[in-house]
Amino acid sequence: MRVLSTVKFTLLRMLRNFIVLLLLLIVPIVLISLFSLILSGAVTDTGEPYLKQPAVSLVLCFQLFGGSTVMYMIHSELFTEHRARMQMLPISLTMYAFSIMLCGVVYSVMLGVILMTFTQFVLGLIWEHWLWTIYLITLMAILSSVVYLVFMFAVKVYKTAERLSEVYGIGFILLAGLFFPMPDHAFFRFMGSYGNPLTLSTIAIHEMSMNNTSKAWFAANILLAATIILFLVMMVVGRRRFMRDRV
Amino acid sequence: MTIASMRGVVKRYGSYVALDSIDLDIHAGEIIGLLGPNGAGKTTLIGTLTGMRPFDHGTVELFGQSKHPFSHENKEKIGLVTQEITIFEELTAKENLQFFAGVYGLKGEVRKQKVREVLEFVGLSDQANKLPTKFSGGMKRRLNIACALTHSPSFLIMDEPTVGIDPQSRNYILEGVKRLRDRGTTILYTTHYIEEIEAIASRVIIMDQGQIIKEGTPADLIQTIQHEEKVSFEVTDPERIPEGSLEKIAGVRRVLTAGNDITVISDAGSGNLDRMLSIIKEHTGVLGIQTERPNLEDVFFTLTGRQLRDKGEEQ
Repeated sequence: MRVLSTVKFTLLRMLRNFIVLLLLLIVPIVLISLFSLILSGAVTDTGEPYLKQPAVSLVLCFQLFGGSTVMYMIHSELFTEHRARMQMLPISLTMYAFSIMLCGVVYSVMLGVILMTFTQFVLGLIWEHWLWTIYLITLMAILSSVVYLVFMFAVKVYKTAERLSEVYGIGFILLAGLFFPMPDHAFFRFMGSYGNPLTLSTIAIHEMSMNNTSKAWFAANILLAATIILFLVMMVVGRRRFMRDRV
Repeated sequence: MTIASMRGVVKRYGSYVALDSIDLDIHAGEIIGLLGPNGAGKTTLIGTLTGMRPFDHGTVELFGQSKHPFSHENKEKIGLVTQEITIFEELTAKENLQFFAGVYGLKGEVRKQKVREVLEFVGLSDQANKLPTKFSGGMKRRLNIACALTHSPSFLIMDEPTVGIDPQSRNYILEGVKRLRDRGTTILYTTHYIEEIEAIASRVIIMDQGQIIKEGTPADLIQTIQHEEKVSFEVTDPERIPEGSLEKIAGVRRVLTAGNDITVISDAGSGNLDRMLSIIKEHTGVLGIQTERPNLEDVFFTLTGRQLRDKGEEQ
């Protein structure tokens, strides 16, 4: 398993990509801090801080964009500049691609956990179910990587894949009604609840904090099922892309 | 010992034939200079030789294996220096080499030692802990080469490794190639820079439009087209030389006069320089003499009727 020797370097490369760190860590920290200043001390009727909802949303929202690093790295190493050199290495490129994907997920989850730690220990927000939240962040991170790779494998032009991934990220934030309320229509109701990974994970966290375990698991399992299905789709389109580009 | 061979290899992209019945043998210890203009098929040939690109017809044999020539076992013996700089900009020079050494199974102290050796070999020891973003083009090229050397390959393929770099770095790389040859590494070196091939290659393969059009040692190839010699004299007053006096010398084919320059074209090996010089000196002063020998560029031109490099292409 020589691919294992590359993991340390893949993670190092991700950590040294300061633009990604700025966008996926610094920006949410600044936003949550701003919300904290605005909503300082305010609580809902149930005694929950008003900051909780935007904090959960922000931690999960940025997971929608976590797949960008994975998509970029796999594209540059297996399809463009580095392709020839990588193909000459005595390792399985499929395993190498998986290792990049796993590193991307770990990196994305790590950023999410840093955000949770910041909000709890700096802003004083209590996350009741850490492991459950980390599980949902992990699902969101895997889903994001899978979706981004499906886009990258399915379209010929990388820029198109980038635009599609932006539509995925921003689109689900819009459909979740975070910027403004969506029209009262069956489609938007569905996309604002069970058809949206962002709302599914938010529901799962919220229901778990209300001790509605079954509802929480139901939402999380829909997310898991979607991830598994899209993972299979990714395998198929990825294989097709590898075969096509080999010519 | 034959390191690699191709027999009747054909590679098509639709109706375009990128490689047309390529027959090629590469023997241990050789530096093969693969010469051809852009689009000749050099990179495609490397792609098919290494299994990166499937081919439509023919056979490829690597290290005596024709059934599974592109196995991981064979890949471990090959180093590829890519035309593009394929290093990781987010990793230091040392980390880049550690990455590739690790992939080839080197661990612990062996890996550290090998990384040190390779950094020393490419002259980047003092830059080991710096990120390539701070490197010059030449240094990046050298690191690019180093990445292909961490596992001490017995067969090194270098695809235009000196594109776009300064003459100093180019010389450094060419010296490095010679040192690798001295260590017993077989090298396939592709370029469209004639002077590089003339400096290092033990055998030259000239490609054009997907075909190998000629192969041999540089001297042999030049010999095949060396039918005439050209000598230019810069003189003080060419009009004082009696008309027809140079043409009468045995072997002289043509005499051309332009300004103060007289160019005499004669049969190869006619050995009449002394006589030409004495006639000219008898009538006028000689300011300079220049002899022009054909090079591989002339060989290519003779074979194809085209220049190897387009006008205006980078030097």
